[in-house]
Amino acid sequence: MLAALAVGGFAVITVGLLILQIQDHGYFLRLAQENRVRLEVMRAPRGAIYDRNGELLADNYPSFNIVFRPLPAESTARAKLVVDPLWVRQVSRLLEEDTTRVTELVRKANRSGQTATLRHNAPFPVLAAVEESRAEYPGLEVVIQPLRRYPHGTLASHLLGYAGEINDKELVEREQQGYQAGDLIGRTGVERTLEEFLRGRDGAEFVVVNAMGRRVSTLSEGPPQRPEPGHDIVMTVDLRVQQAMEEAMAKVSRGAAVAIDPRDGGILGMVSRPAFDPNEFSRGLSFARWKQLSSGGANPLLNRAIQGAYPPGSTFKVIVMLAALRSGVASVASRFASCFGSYHFGGRSFGCWKREGHGSLDFPGALQHSCDVYFYQIGTKLGLARLEAAALAFGLGEKTGIDLPQERRGLVPSQAYYDKRWGVNGWRKGTLLNLAIGQGELLVTPLQLALMAAEVATQGRPVRPHVVKEVRGAPDFHTPRPLQPGVAADPAVWRAVQHGMELVVESGTGTASRVQDVKVAGKTGTAQNPHGNDHALFVCYAPADDPRIALAFVIENSGHGGSVAAPMAGAVLRRLFAPDTSTTEVPPVPIPIDTSGVVRGD
Amino acid sequence: MGTKWRLPSIDIALTVAAFLLVAMGLSIVYSATTVPGQHEGLWAKQLLWFGFALAAACLAAAIHYRLYDTFAYILYGISILLLVAVLGFGTSAMGAKRWLELGPIKFQPSELAKIATVFVLARRFDDRNLDLRRIRDWLPPLLITLVPFALVAKEPDLGTSLSFPVILVAMYFWAGMPPGHLLLGLSPVFNVALFFLTGSLLWFAAGFAVLLGAVRPKLSTLLLAVAVNGAVAYAVPHLWDQLHDYQKRRIETFLNPGQDPHGAGYQIIQSKIAIGSGGLVGKGFLRGTQKGLAFLPMRHTDFIYSVVGEELGLLGALTVVILYAVVILRGYRLALQARNGFASLMAVGLVSALFYHIIVNIMMTIGWAPVTGLPLPLLSYGGTALIVNCIQLGLLQNVAIRRQEY
Repeated sequence: MLAALAVGGFAVITVGLLILQIQDHGYFLRLAQENRVRLEVMRAPRGAIYDRNGELLADNYPSFNIVFRPLPAESTARAKLVVDPLWVRQVSRLLEEDTTRVTELVRKANRSGQTATLRHNAPFPVLAAVEESRAEYPGLEVVIQPLRRYPHGTLASHLLGYAGEINDKELVEREQQGYQAGDLIGRTGVERTLEEFLRGRDGAEFVVVNAMGRRVSTLSEGPPQRPEPGHDIVMTVDLRVQQAMEEAMAKVSRGAAVAIDPRDGGILGMVSRPAFDPNEFSRGLSFARWKQLSSGGANPLLNRAIQGAYPPGSTFKVIVMLAALRSGVASVASRFASCFGSYHFGGRSFGCWKREGHGSLDFPGALQHSCDVYFYQIGTKLGLARLEAAALAFGLGEKTGIDLPQERRGLVPSQAYYDKRWGVNGWRKGTLLNLAIGQGELLVTPLQLALMAAEVATQGRPVRPHVVKEVRGAPDFHTPRPLQPGVAADPAVWRAVQHGMELVVESGTGTASRVQDVKVAGKTGTAQNPHGNDHALFVCYAPADDPRIALAFVIENSGHGGSVAAPMAGAVLRRLFAPDTSTTEVPPVPIPIDTSGVVRGD
Repeated sequence: MGTKWRLPSIDIALTVAAFLLVAMGLSIVYSATTVPGQHEGLWAKQLLWFGFALAAACLAAAIHYRLYDTFAYILYGISILLLVAVLGFGTSAMGAKRWLELGPIKFQPSELAKIATVFVLARRFDDRNLDLRRIRDWLPPLLITLVPFALVAKEPDLGTSLSFPVILVAMYFWAGMPPGHLLLGLSPVFNVALFFLTGSLLWFAAGFAVLLGAVRPKLSTLLLAVAVNGAVAYAVPHLWDQLHDYQKRRIETFLNPGQDPHGAGYQIIQSKIAIGSGGLVGKGFLRGTQKGLAFLPMRHTDFIYSVVGEELGLLGALTVVILYAVVILRGYRLALQARNGFASLMAVGLVSALFYHIIVNIMMTIGWAPVTGLPLPLLSYGGTALIVNCIQLGLLQNVAIRRQEY
């Protein structure tokens, strides 16, 4: 039986051989003699990207590459002729390309039988010249390739990311996934996280060409495979919000801002300064330019909104207040030792940002005026564990799980952290005082700050920040669940915190973010920074009674949150909620005042 | 009387056929690598490999097969460890991890695993009280085969991994599993295959009913078969629908790399042109045109048969088929002749693995099977494959020498 199976198998092969070598011999011999079969790749365009209202954020446009296709019809002798120096000189002049490069590419193409791209994205004069002289240079051809285009330039560049040509290393890693040399691959932003949806499937067909390399017909052997375009993507981003934020931050040299919809966690806008133009990558970067972008001092490729970690400064007082109220160490009416500009603890003096002092304040008042002395006292009562628990509940110190690459965690120090750093019990309670005003080891990302504001707005409802709303043609695509269970506290506690934040904007440190007829709740922050001038921070949400947007601004090395960051938030909110009532002009960022060496809460 | 030295009773036909195949392989490797600048002189390296392979084959034939029986599990254990090692720190080529590098030597543990699996299965099946209708008799061999199969499939090397189930099925049959039951056992595979071919489960359901009627299995077997097939029939379409488009695409390309026109599709077309243009007598040795200018990639390894077809024509291609047929048929004959159960089973397992490789490779070059990256035994360039193939033949000679022993 097994032997019969074996004989059967060999018989099948024999039949196959007879068909190929006897029946179809003539056909294949003709193909082989002229050896004119060539594979033509039809590049699939990447999916387009839209904002939540259908505004285009990224698409493709045809670009023209000039390629050299080795002529298989001729013998090896002819192939050698082709690398004739005269030919190379003429072709190089035609393409305005380097002769050594052209020689190298043509030689490689002749060796491997594969098509070589001599010039990417050729300008029209070069195209015209090539088309005119094609008869003289067999093998030279123009092919169309879709290139990525970002119509708004630098707008939302950190959200979108960019797509660049695949490199050799990635090609080896991803060969199984069908990547080809010359393919585009998403490098950062959604271009990277949704790479698998955005990229399409290239098509291909086998064509018969004549001796001059011109296409004569399509080979029936392998039917052509049409290219399948990638899926289109709809982002949660609102172009209006994004534009308002970009304009507000236009003069900022370094910083980031995030706008989030507190109801579902959709990112409405995200700005990181300095920005880059993703179109540059489509056009092809010089090595020098790439170095400048990727490792220059300002590092424009860094998405500071999710990869920058900053001390939260006084914006953290929102969390401290909630922690204190929900654990009962203080009530809304609690008044502690009055603020006379500083607070003595453990033999040290801890200053308040307002040197003349705030006097006696209740809890909402302390938040409203960002009184450091009040929060020092809360910190000592609260203790590290409760503070840490509240910060973690708000999602600080952990990745939010946003669908963008390389998010940073930030840092919420714990008992174990200090034990490891300073030795068991080697650290002082003074550390706690610093934490209570958002200084010390605390580090958060602007995204985490926006998330914090959003959670206050919705009384602790958990959301997962995300930037992709929908993948067209993939109805089963869903945003993953929130990573945090949300923040638990009494409604009364939430109301008190919200009330405190409303006071901040109404008549506290954040009045610069006021909007006519719309109630805004916010908190300012001025974060000390060991490496230079203070960072200005501001978080807010609006409208306070029906929150639809939460914002966080972090402006590096530029001074006070109340005078630098809050006006930017105000400008954005006014454009969204009261576009007619005032100008959208943002006051210029003031020249940084040297404040180093002074302990500041606000 | 007195002891007179005489030649061991090796199988002459098999030996001659194998030598002829290796000789053809060497000359075709020589021809396929005459293109200037690429892989020149590989035939000499291959000749060196053949020296090692011959020595290995003699050793494999000289050692009494009882020793293989004894050390079956140990060998199997080692080869599994090596397969795990490959996944951990193997060398990748074209996206798959298949090789372990030991200094200058690269070797593919999946080849060793194939032989070790044959030993273990032969040992298990060499049992008079075996009743392969009982679950405790058929399940352990299945699991034993599943482990290397899964590890090799994970590399991923689908082509090689499928030789494990082929070995198992052939040895189940040889060990006496009734064909009806064997078909019953294979039914989930047909189930999935028919679903993908026809998109409906009706064809399978009809065939399955006929099969059940013919076999009339015990109630427990019947229930198991129905349950497994039901589960598969339910799960496959559902799982398929659950997948994203790109995941489906990835599976499709994995199962059938020929769908990828840039890589495998191109090779198939070029291979067919090469073979077809060879005609009856071929273009003559060293005269192939397709192999020039790199039009036929992998021409000295996986697609060496295309060069045979192009240069030596139908006559040469059929000669190769006939030589392979001699090897395979003599192999099965040895299995029949062997009086020892282990030896007989071992022969069947080894020959079936060889047969699978030959058939799939040749079908691939004529465009009737997906491109899965299998070398053609004895002909393709490659050290590990040649040595392992020669060891397999040496083990068959081992059976031949001792076919009279119990």
